Amino acid sequence: MVSPIHIITISLGIAFALGIFGNLPKKISAIIMLIAIGAITFISAQWAYALYFGNAETTQIFTAGFKPPYSINLQMGIYEAFFSLLINIIGLLGGIYLFNTLVKQGKNAIIVFLILIMGLNVIVLTQDIFNLFVFLEVQSIATAGLIVLHKNKDSISSGFKYMLATGIIAGLLLIGIIFSYYFTGSLNIADIINANIGLSKGGAVAVFLILIAIVLELKPFPANGWAIDVYQSVKPGFAAIISAGSASAAFFVLYKILPIVPENFYNVISALGIITFIGSNLIGIKQTNTNRLLGYSSIGQMGLLITILGLSPYLGDKLTFIAFAILISHYLAKAGLFWLSGIVKQQNIKNWSNLRKKPVLMVLFGTFIFTLLGFPPFPSFFGKWELIMQLSASGQFIWMALILVGSFIEGIYLFRWFSNSLKSENSKLPEIKISLNKFIPPVIFGVATYGFGYFAGTFVEAAGAINYIPLLFIAFIALIDFLPAWTKNTISIAGVIAYIFYLYPSVEGDLLRQIFLGIFLGGAVITLFSGYYYKGKRLGFYPMALAMFAGLAMLITATNLFEILYGWELMTIGSYFLLIRGKKSLPHGYSYMMFSLGGSYTMMFGFALAFAGFGNLDLQALSGITVYPTLAYSLILIGFMTKTASFGLHIWLPGAHGEAVADIHFMASAILLKAGVFGIILVLLGMGAEAIYAKNILFVLGWIGAISALIGNVAASFQESAKRLLAWSSIGQLGYIVFGLAMMSHLGWTAGLFYTITHFLYKGVLFLIIGGIALKLGTPLMYKMGGLIKKMPFSFIAVLIAIITLAGVPPLVGFAGKWLFYNAIISEGFYFQGVVVLFSGIVAFLYLFRLIHTIFLGQLKDEHRNVKEISVWLLIPVYLLLFAIMIISAKPEFILKPLGNYLISYFPTGALTWNETMVSTALGHWDGYWIMMIVGVMFVILLAWLIITNAKAQKVKQFNMVYAAERPFRPETTHMAHNMFAGYNKALGFLIAPYVTNFWNWISNFVYDTAGFVRRIYSGNGQTYVLHIVAYIMVIYFIIF
Amino acid sequence: MDNIILKLLFTLLGLFIVLNWGLLMSAIMQKIVARVAGRHGIPFYQPWIDLIKLYTKRTAITHGIMFYLGPVFRLGGGVGMFLFIPLIYGSEYFTNFSWSGDLILILYFQFFGMLGMALGAGEGGHPNSVIGISRGLAQFTTVEVPMTLAVISIAVQYQTLSITEIVAAQQGGILNWTLFTNPLATAAAMLSLLGAFRHAPFNLVKAPNEIPIGPPTEYHSSFLGVLRTNNAILHVIEAVLFMNLFFGGATNWFELILKSFLIYFWSVFVGVVFPRFRIEQSVAWFLKVPLVIGILAIIIFI
Repeated sequence: MVSPIHIITISLGIAFALGIFGNLPKKISAIIMLIAIGAITFISAQWAYALYFGNAETTQIFTAGFKPPYSINLQMGIYEAFFSLLINIIGLLGGIYLFNTLVKQGKNAIIVFLILIMGLNVIVLTQDIFNLFVFLEVQSIATAGLIVLHKNKDSISSGFKYMLATGIIAGLLLIGIIFSYYFTGSLNIADIINANIGLSKGGAVAVFLILIAIVLELKPFPANGWAIDVYQSVKPGFAAIISAGSASAAFFVLYKILPIVPENFYNVISALGIITFIGSNLIGIKQTNTNRLLGYSSIGQMGLLITILGLSPYLGDKLTFIAFAILISHYLAKAGLFWLSGIVKQQNIKNWSNLRKKPVLMVLFGTFIFTLLGFPPFPSFFGKWELIMQLSASGQFIWMALILVGSFIEGIYLFRWFSNSLKSENSKLPEIKISLNKFIPPVIFGVATYGFGYFAGTFVEAAGAINYIPLLFIAFIALIDFLPAWTKNTISIAGVIAYIFYLYPSVEGDLLRQIFLGIFLGGAVITLFSGYYYKGKRLGFYPMALAMFAGLAMLITATNLFEILYGWELMTIGSYFLLIRGKKSLPHGYSYMMFSLGGSYTMMFGFALAFAGFGNLDLQALSGITVYPTLAYSLILIGFMTKTASFGLHIWLPGAHGEAVADIHFMASAILLKAGVFGIILVLLGMGAEAIYAKNILFVLGWIGAISALIGNVAASFQESAKRLLAWSSIGQLGYIVFGLAMMSHLGWTAGLFYTITHFLYKGVLFLIIGGIALKLGTPLMYKMGGLIKKMPFSFIAVLIAIITLAGVPPLVGFAGKWLFYNAIISEGFYFQGVVVLFSGIVAFLYLFRLIHTIFLGQLKDEHRNVKEISVWLLIPVYLLLFAIMIISAKPEFILKPLGNYLISYFPTGALTWNETMVSTALGHWDGYWIMMIVGVMFVILLAWLIITNAKAQKVKQFNMVYAAERPFRPETTHMAHNMFAGYNKALGFLIAPYVTNFWNWISNFVYDTAGFVRRIYSGNGQTYVLHIVAYIMVIYFIIF
Repeated sequence: MDNIILKLLFTLLGLFIVLNWGLLMSAIMQKIVARVAGRHGIPFYQPWIDLIKLYTKRTAITHGIMFYLGPVFRLGGGVGMFLFIPLIYGSEYFTNFSWSGDLILILYFQFFGMLGMALGAGEGGHPNSVIGISRGLAQFTTVEVPMTLAVISIAVQYQTLSITEIVAAQQGGILNWTLFTNPLATAAAMLSLLGAFRHAPFNLVKAPNEIPIGPPTEYHSSFLGVLRTNNAILHVIEAVLFMNLFFGGATNWFELILKSFLIYFWSVFVGVVFPRFRIEQSVAWFLKVPLVIGILAIIIFI
């Protein structure tokens, strides 16, 4: 194997040679430099490979043949090899990326670049603290050189500030090194560690100085104004090197000297890290400049890594994995994002929307953003999970909370940036031009994120059972995205059906999971089938839809908490991309994502608390959580309730669903929301109803359900858009379900699960039909429709049956739900919540009538005289669902009996009793079959009676009518549709005043304003920045000593 | 088999009695209202004349299938409620098909007719119909709130939702009536009744004194005949429901007629005394005093 010393010799040699042979053409020089970096990359790769697979051992290299302290001692261990590989790869790819820039800037830039990479390598490899100092200086000077080489005002000023700051840092470090040499007599880090100088007061000061200098190298908030300016003023390609390369090296230095630091400093290190993580991300919120924003994010990530090092005593043997997973995510994503920034060439984050004209770049952009945010399947997800779990197991709950808060804040701006580029107007932006050398590096890093994601998964024990087949299938569908939609649709349906058969054995005998499998994947088949209506390619739709369904399926088959979160996040990503496809869904998709992100963090926190008490991650951990049970259950429930859009967490839904197209609306509402229900069921089964905390939580949950039902239904009545109406209605319906589950009794759960199933059926019908009509007419606004019954008779019948079911009018099956509710409420004593729910049920009549009337009845508009029935591909699944509704209306026992048998094992008392078709509770009885028969016979007789007495009725159009002794003017002015329940609005409109929206707006404004306030510390003045650094050191000094 | 035919025949007989009593009762009520207003009023046989006239009209127009079905739904709602409610306590035959469902079935079966009618009227295309429906639905939502509270209260009191059992529990003297054993629930329900029967002050839905609005606007001839038929049946049946729940039920036809008259009269009485509410007033009204009474009716059982 090639000795690591050649990393230095090659770099130095080539650098000198390039200087000596100064007349070489610039391109040749640059190529030689790249070859040199390639060579050193090979060396470190070779070592990393050998060390990882145990083919080599950690090797010490002594320069000039002497032993320390007379020589410099380099070490090549697994970590050194890995970090040096990271640096060299970013050097190589960054060099390729910057090729044209370097060529343009000439020989000096090329040499400095090479020296920078070498400097970073030595920083990693060296075991000599003075040598470390020297190469930190080399690195600083090289960086400053690269900054200043840009030759514009900003970069020169930021280069100057950079030198000022690094000068102070170097001074501190040097003093620290002198002190430590005084106490230990050695410059070798291993010797210093052994000397344990932190124990003495003077030694502690030495350690403090070294430590603070290294921390300052990592640009901690708020003493980092100088670094931020650098990120902003250099070319993105250099920023990528600084963010991914230099920062990784500096982080490794901190890791290396950490053993010198006495244990009692650790908390301070964590505190510095977390302040950086939160503070930096907070300010990131206010940024509009791409590179500056990425700068804040980089520094934030470094803050997180510092925190992790500070918390290392609590992380045990997972420390390495956690740090690597988060570091590698940062490394790949941040470099990738900087590179993309160089390709897009837009300073303002709002102007990135032309990126979506280049799908590959857009996918990369999404990949990097999701990597940073810690979504699966990327490595940071695994890292963050292990971090939170380990902290929880050690009882470090405050740290967990702070880390999650910081991560959330980071999500705010990264995601805003991303969603803007996905959706905002891009017609006026210039076309993006890509050259191959700028294209390859981000592609490699993009692919690597997935590779490392898989690799990281193999280290997490709980991730062992993750089934990668669906993910591969999704990747396959993504690869054939250029094919027309119907091909992908057929393949997807086949895939889902195959997966149902594959999964079915694992849920056999478990009715709960069977029901949800039916809803999730059966629903998938139905909605995908309706997707045949779409003509064209539907780019990006299928991978995302399948990702959502794969996530949902993973929830069902999950055997541990990790898999639940994994599936949950996968589903969130998929559904986000589906929801954001609507025309005006930018802000709604964003708020959906914010709630989802917040929800998954609260859930993670709750899971961690469960883990802390139970010791492993099995689903049983949810039973009887012992560590802060009220908090844990509440947090997990809140996480799940972000998806059921329960009151307080519902404001994302109306917009997000209201803008989605027909089949996506079905997926998002009838299917996706049920994921939350499934989660709540899991939690409640674990929690039980006996403990005091359980009683309190259930009480609150019941009221949340009831209020959601009320608010959802009242608000639905006042909507002008049919889709928003249905969206609010979903909030209401999910409220019933949550309320039913909160009763924690046989009847309550029967009602809740029954609603879960029937809501899927009738809402599926409504979404497809209404979505189809909105597509056909080009608007979801109901007052623009009217009189469509004769144009769309099949749609009308479908909607009619669906709304009768939803309203709970006998003889259709919706009545069973109402009846169960009444019985449950009375027998469980949930009187007042129950009245609210039942009241909501009656309010539902308002919006249901409005829905069917304003669309199908009343006056037909002139411009709709020629519209036709909606696509048959939408009608076929609709009629399948209707068939199911009719079957269970006549035979409700098909559902209720197995449900009862299943629930009896959880709630033995209060079950329904069956006497043939008659079902009874302790209170009442009901015979669905006979009611259906009686009503049917009666209806036929009455119809016959009317036909006999009215055989001669003459058919006329709607407009042929008596209207206050005059002819009405036009259909538009005669159709009663707009502001239909004006009087009701006057009386009860206060119920839906946007208090909750205002509350969240207040929170978000508060965060933004705080960010704006904090940001003011960055004055742009070099002296101020120096003052920051000095003050920072002083404050920390006084805190420690 | 004989039993079922016999049962059917008695059911039809019951329906016949209820229909005619309903027609007569509506004539009497209209006469009372007229006398209060200082008018002479209609002859007591006027409803039958109207009905015969309507059913024998030679011309009729329809606006489409849903328009045609609207009255069928409406009458189906009335007859259905009749079928599912026990009329005479202790009578084997006049309990109709009440075994197939309980109180909740009745409460929700009301919607069957309302919804069908609303849709039929909607297809009529007349804006006045829809204005009436939208007001009616709006008002109905809050009318049901005190009623729901009252129902829950008596269900908790009697521990059953079966109407027959609720009536059974009230037998054995006037003091066993819910009216006396649970006056709060009765009060809440009787206030709710005012909205359900849609006399003044809650009659903006049809606004009978001015231009006709509300669902029947476009209906005429035998369509209107069907609606009138239903009205007659429904008034009695709704009164019977309240009678069964709060006033001890009826053990014979005379008792049924007397009690249903008095219950219905209560809404007419209030109607002639008070002027009409605007819709937002009536919606809010049920959420004030009646709501509080209803809540109290439940609190006493906690």
